[in-house]
Amino acid sequence: MNAQEKTLYDEIQEIRALYPVSRSATLPALRLAQERYGWLSPDAFRSVADALDETPAYCMSVASFYDMYHLKPVGRHLVEVCTNVSCALVGAQQVLEAFQSELGVHAGETTEDGEVTLRTVECAGGCGWGTVVAVDHRYREPVRAEDVPAIVEELRRGR
Amino acid sequence: MAAEQFVVLAGAEEHALTKLADYREAGGFEALAKARLMEPAQVVQEILDSGLRGRGGAFFPTGRKASFLAKGTGKPTYLVVNADESEPGTFKDREIMFRVPHRLIEGCLITAHAIECERVFIYIRGEYLTEFEILRAALEEVRGADLLGGVTVVLHRGAGAYICGEETALLESLEGKRGQPRTKPPFPAIAGLYASPSLINNVETIATVPKIVELGAKEYAKIGVPPDSSGTRVFSLSGNVVNGGNYELPMGVTLRELIYDLGGGIPGGRQLKAVIPGGSSVPVLTADQIDVPLDAHSMAEAGSMLGSGAIIVMDDRCCMVQLGLRVAQFYMHESCGKCTPCREGTRWMVQILEAIEAGTASEGELELLLDVCDRILGKCLCPLGDAAAMPVASYIDKFRIEFQEHLESGCPMRGESTLEHVLAPVDQHTHDPVAEVPA
Amino acid sequence: MSAPESVKVTIDDREVEVAKGTGLVETAAAAGIEIPVFCYEPRLGPAVGACRMCLVEVEGIPKLQAGCTLTAQDGMVVRTAQSSAKAAEGQEATLEFILVNHPLDCPVCDKGGECPLQDLTFKYGPGQTRMTFPKRTFDKPIPISPTIALDRERCILCYRCTRFSSDVAEDGQLVARNRGAQSLITTFEDEAYRAPFSGNVIELCPVGALTSTQYRFEARPWEIQNVPTVCGLCPVGCNVSATTREGKVKRVISRNHPEVDQGWLCDKGRFAFPYLYAGDRILDPLERVRRRGFGELSWDDAIDRAEELLRKGKGRIVTALSGSETVEQAYALGKLLRQGLGAHSAVLPEATSFALDAFRAPLSSIADAEIVVVIGDEAVADRAPIVDLWIKQARRNGAEVVRVPEPKFGLELEQRVSASDRAVLIWSGRAGGGGARLAELGHRLGLDGKPGCAAFNLPATPNARGAADAWAAAGEADEENPEPICLLIVSGDEAASDPAVRALAEQAEYVIAITMFHGLAVGWADLVLPGTSYLERDGSYLNLEGRLQRLRRTVIPPVPDELAWLAKLAERFEVELSPHASAVFAELSGLIYGGMAFGEVGERAPLADRAPYEPPPPAPVAPVPPAAAPPGEHFVGTLTLQRYRPLFSGPAVERVPELAFQRAESVIELAADDAERRQIATGDTVSVRSNGTSVELRARVSRALAAGTARIAEEHAADLHREVEVVKA
Ligand SMILES: Cc1cc2nc3c(=O)[nH]c(=O)nc-3n(C[C@H](O)[C@H](O)[C@H](O)COP(=O)(O)O)c2cc1C
Ligand code: SF4
Ligand code: FES
Repeated sequence: MNAQEKTLYDEIQEIRALYPVSRSATLPALRLAQERYGWLSPDAFRSVADALDETPAYCMSVASFYDMYHLKPVGRHLVEVCTNVSCALVGAQQVLEAFQSELGVHAGETTEDGEVTLRTVECAGGCGWGTVVAVDHRYREPVRAEDVPAIVEELRRGR
Repeated sequence: MAAEQFVVLAGAEEHALTKLADYREAGGFEALAKARLMEPAQVVQEILDSGLRGRGGAFFPTGRKASFLAKGTGKPTYLVVNADESEPGTFKDREIMFRVPHRLIEGCLITAHAIECERVFIYIRGEYLTEFEILRAALEEVRGADLLGGVTVVLHRGAGAYICGEETALLESLEGKRGQPRTKPPFPAIAGLYASPSLINNVETIATVPKIVELGAKEYAKIGVPPDSSGTRVFSLSGNVVNGGNYELPMGVTLRELIYDLGGGIPGGRQLKAVIPGGSSVPVLTADQIDVPLDAHSMAEAGSMLGSGAIIVMDDRCCMVQLGLRVAQFYMHESCGKCTPCREGTRWMVQILEAIEAGTASEGELELLLDVCDRILGKCLCPLGDAAAMPVASYIDKFRIEFQEHLESGCPMRGESTLEHVLAPVDQHTHDPVAEVPA
Repeated sequence: MSAPESVKVTIDDREVEVAKGTGLVETAAAAGIEIPVFCYEPRLGPAVGACRMCLVEVEGIPKLQAGCTLTAQDGMVVRTAQSSAKAAEGQEATLEFILVNHPLDCPVCDKGGECPLQDLTFKYGPGQTRMTFPKRTFDKPIPISPTIALDRERCILCYRCTRFSSDVAEDGQLVARNRGAQSLITTFEDEAYRAPFSGNVIELCPVGALTSTQYRFEARPWEIQNVPTVCGLCPVGCNVSATTREGKVKRVISRNHPEVDQGWLCDKGRFAFPYLYAGDRILDPLERVRRRGFGELSWDDAIDRAEELLRKGKGRIVTALSGSETVEQAYALGKLLRQGLGAHSAVLPEATSFALDAFRAPLSSIADAEIVVVIGDEAVADRAPIVDLWIKQARRNGAEVVRVPEPKFGLELEQRVSASDRAVLIWSGRAGGGGARLAELGHRLGLDGKPGCAAFNLPATPNARGAADAWAAAGEADEENPEPICLLIVSGDEAASDPAVRALAEQAEYVIAITMFHGLAVGWADLVLPGTSYLERDGSYLNLEGRLQRLRRTVIPPVPDELAWLAKLAERFEVELSPHASAVFAELSGLIYGGMAFGEVGERAPLADRAPYEPPPPAPVAPVPPAAAPPGEHFVGTLTLQRYRPLFSGPAVERVPELAFQRAESVIELAADDAERRQIATGDTVSVRSNGTSVELRARVSRALAAGTARIAEEHAADLHREVEVVKA
């Protein structure tokens, strides 16, 4: 175990202590590991499992149920465009396409420099201010196709 | 002319009340003090008398549910607040947490006192990062001000799964498992979180409790349309309207008033085509039905529901087949995969709707679609299957001609629909080489 | 416990009376009505209501209900598909939805002919499919281990297999991945499903998604026979059926004995049978020939040669039993040697004591215990796997499970045990005097007086007690350990592979070995007589509960079985001995089984009543390993080595390539502190030394292991001593 994992292990023990049954710490523990490793790699699962006294298979099984965990590598930045009904009605698809051409990737892909991952998501909960775009989990509301170049520019500068 | 009435959002009309001081300024935590001087049973009675019903979608009488809690089991009782808000079109709980976080916490503490519980879990959807931070800060303030009174409040973040809004799936998720619903019975009131008696309520429901204690059940019950639809609701207005957003209104205001008076009507001189009055899982209403008042009874008469209070407005550019497809795609993507009719049925619905939209389907397949919906309805482990089948069936029912046109000559919108080619998310984890993605 | 009140339920207008709370599926069955199910399997825990095959109409409830989740309540009125159009429609709907993505490849499916889905489709299914779109497709079939294949296209996502893995075996290795229509069954990173009970998922799978790699395409249901017998590889004696075709065993499946195994098997019992057909199986008698090594000889010559050696040996004969002989074999051997030659000395792998008969109870009683104390340093799963499942079930039922290295309880623990009406003691280790010490302990704590309490000793061999009793019954005189030994008779593979027996052989002038495999006897025995397997024998075993169970000959052995030639040999010494198990049993039964008839030991054998407690003769108190010293005093010097015999070891397992992946890795388990003090992490290569010997092993850090101790599997421990040094290589 290297120093980093040690602290992950200890942090997870602290989270477990918050709950009457420590398995409840699974989701927070997976989130922590994802922040550490960038994504939930096999090694990430192994260390979470070790810290939770679960099997790696169990942790993988749980993680794969939820959309916010990444079971494959993602870019340093994450752009999520809501394409559920309300947003779609006010131009989500155009916004998505704008991102696709600005970034040169399709939804679900990561730019070649590994900087930005673009993906569509289901209702983000900002329907009245659609189209909702989450940039690194911070909502931008509303976003119109013409706003996209500025956002991408900002991301490229922010590296 | 309908006007907003601030009860849950009281004090936050102008700007968000995110500081404890400001909230107390506006009378915050007086209800808690008042409630703590009352007997727990008395508080439950108040909630019963207020006529408050669940704001999460099921509209179940809140006081009744609290009174179901098993007593003397030797196990602790838990309060679980459902802040997983994910029903498409719904964004009211987010507004409440954003504008009056302390009121939600006060509501938790009053309810905890009422049901004699020492541990509260707030399950907040994972995507709501800012709201989580606001709530965490507010909780710190409340703790600092010694208002918790021995109650532990734990903020638990979800991780992206609509089904975790369903109460038993939420409990599974909170227990660190895959969020798949449980069979009922046993009901959570008997064996919920960690197999202990648990009360699960929506954010708005709990955030209403302080106001009930403050105004008194009698006064609160007068708001709206007593006895069944007392009180206000924070309605989420979205889609093709000029002023989308949340509006807190007494129940009974009509859809027309909300959409035109408050929402500013349909932009770009477009025609209203249809309205989804309670989140994407309820049956659609046509343009000529918008004089229906927003209360449970009237909605039922109109053949729909208030659901989560999310109103989605569609103008004449919306293709109903594409709407059906997009809605079906959502439920297919969110089906937990536990029970057969929902898992297989929603996927089949999507496949048929794709064919209809592509103009490659036959008359028989429209009937088949209706039959598949019918075979999902009432057969599933939890209501998610119905939530997919019900609306889609209603689209066909109310816009049959449009579906027919698709069968005969493809989409009549000829590519002009607002929902044209909308890309729905696919399972985020299908990089697994052997798992296919429906085309 | 008072009898549960009984209730009246009406199903399809038929009234049945059952105990309150009986599952509705069982209630219907009691009324002769089938409620079809897929996911429902009570042995997996509470019903989950996932597949929706069991939809029924319940009076007073508008929506259809999942029958499997309901229990019988008084006055309940239920309508199944047979009398309710609504229920029938629901059932048809579910079936159609299941078939929407299920391939129609029954003709080439191993499950074909014994497949619930196939049967139900036939009974209730839609004629033709209305599904015109692409079905879900997967690579198929993929191995999830060398013994199990998974065909995801056939999977109907009933989650039986994953529930078994997480809720019964508690190995947490076979899991569901993804969500909704994307869900699939998998292991972590497609690693092998490596766990003692994995094979049970094959029998649990209601379709042909999980199949045995050993059985794939081996036989069709109408070509096979299922012969009921019991497993002979450990002292539990799980009830099994051997599926045979053209005189060969093709698979071993469970034959649920609710008191013994609940229908579960360990992978050794399920997958080890191919050892019958191992390359080095001995088919003819062999004798040592000067310089040329070994030569085959005819059976007649072999009998002559055996007689010759026996006459040479006379009273100076010692017999090394395996504890895997049937009671009939052990008796026959004993009668021949003891009455024919006055050779009374036998050595057994371990002592056996009758004293435990006062604590006799079915293994199933463990599940109802409120406290279970496991004594000894050996993993229960290594000695008697199924007992481990019973203990896990007890824990899930709320029992407290305590592990102590030796029979020294703290006062507080003693009090809790003797205060309880449902306490169970389990001895899982050596040096127990065959249960004698456990019996003394149990008696001291007053367990023999309480029907809800029990004590189980986990012997190292499948029939140790039965063999010992039979040998004892075969003659009166006490043994006189001859010095020097003239003739050593080695009975069976376990004895032949036992170092202690090999040591004895050193001292003996002559050795006769009865064994199945060249590898075991050739090189040190003078005469080798071919042995048979438990799957090839008629006879009886006495399991660790003290339950007499019937072994049936599932296939004809390639060699005459032991009784046949023992009878011949007996003639030469004027000893009367029948070659038939039934006759031998009848004779023995008169002596020790109260005259019970061979036939009385039924398909699912009953358990004899408890005997009054009799203090055992002072057991030879073998040295008990001292408790590990507290870490404090432990300098980075030596650790105390625990050698253990893994479940997946021994003559049978070693001969089954598919089971190689289950065998113990060359690993040393270290306690966290000890590892840290030596800067050793899991995966590091370490060298383990004790005077003279040195072994290189991979380290695995275990938070469970007591500081100061280290565990190595027998097969990797070479001749390391008790105190070892461990350093990073
Ligand atoms: C598929 C599904 C999704 C749901 N999502 C939510 C949700 O996001 N938020 C919520 O409060 N209730 C949701 N519910 C309703 C909850 O199951 C539960 O009825 C509610 O939280 C109870 O609180 P209330 O009585 O205060 O409304 C959902 C129900 C279903 C079947
Ligand atoms: S593999 Fe078989 S047992 Fe497992 S979920 Fe699929 S159908 Fe059920
Ligand atoms: S539909 Fe986009 S946020 Fe709800």
